[in-house]
Amino acid sequence: MTDRELRELCRRYFDAIERHDLEAVADCCDPEFTFWVNLSGSELTREQSLATLRDGRALLRRRSYDDRRVDTFDGGFLARYSVTCVPHDGRRFSLQACVVAQCRKGKITHLDEYLDSSKFRAPRQAEP
Amino acid sequence: MTDGEIRELCHRFFDAYQDRRVDELAEIYAPDCIVWHNVFGRETTGAENLAALPKSYAGQRRRTYDDRTINTFEGGFVIQYTLAGVQHDGHRGALWICIVALCKDGKITRIDEYMDSSKFAAWAGRGRPRSES
Repeated sequence: MTDRELRELCRRYFDAIERHDLEAVADCCDPEFTFWVNLSGSELTREQSLATLRDGRALLRRRSYDDRRVDTFDGGFLARYSVTCVPHDGRRFSLQACVVAQCRKGKITHLDEYLDSSKFRAPRQAEP
Repeated sequence: MTDGEIRELCHRFFDAYQDRRVDELAEIYAPDCIVWHNVFGRETTGAENLAALPKSYAGQRRRTYDDRTINTFEGGFVIQYTLAGVQHDGHRGALWICIVALCKDGKITRIDEYMDSSKFAAWAGRGRPRSES
């Protein structure tokens, strides 16, 4: 894949997550896609990763991937960004993260994500 | 810099960090090098980073930078690795870290480091029950 194709794939992936367009997210990912994050150290399949995004919808009103800095390398891309989350109670928080993606034939085959979980603030439960 | 030169610089940097050769690290950092961490969200100078190393090193018996996966891009590299530490009491821990470095003229001009600070205590062995003697 060319530099331009990798950048376009990266943009489509993050834009799709922002829109919560899970079909478009799935379309960016190879059927054998795996997702790893430095928090758990375990890998998720594409379906498990999509389920995590689906579940996240119940907690977050909106999330945006801002200040994206993308670099490409042979067979993949690096994206650094601020992810800003707005839970349903309106409070917002953001954290700095990066992903390293392996890509092939127009699809992401593997993603490694690095972030600091101490920056998460769990949304408060709604008052009864 | 070529792919080969950038990879070589990356290995020099991590080997020097691992072997505690602060003088060599000072040669690798450009004079105006900046170091940024996602945990603190602020920039420090290369000189400040180097000045903090002796105290940082004193905390562990040994550190190794293992499982290095390096990719290079125009003007820099991204490295994913496992930081394995052995504390003075023998406790072993590991952290998964990613560093993005910008390079120019054979030097590192900027480092962005991404890690999960919630793993620090386990890495250092803090909070473990002490064995009875």
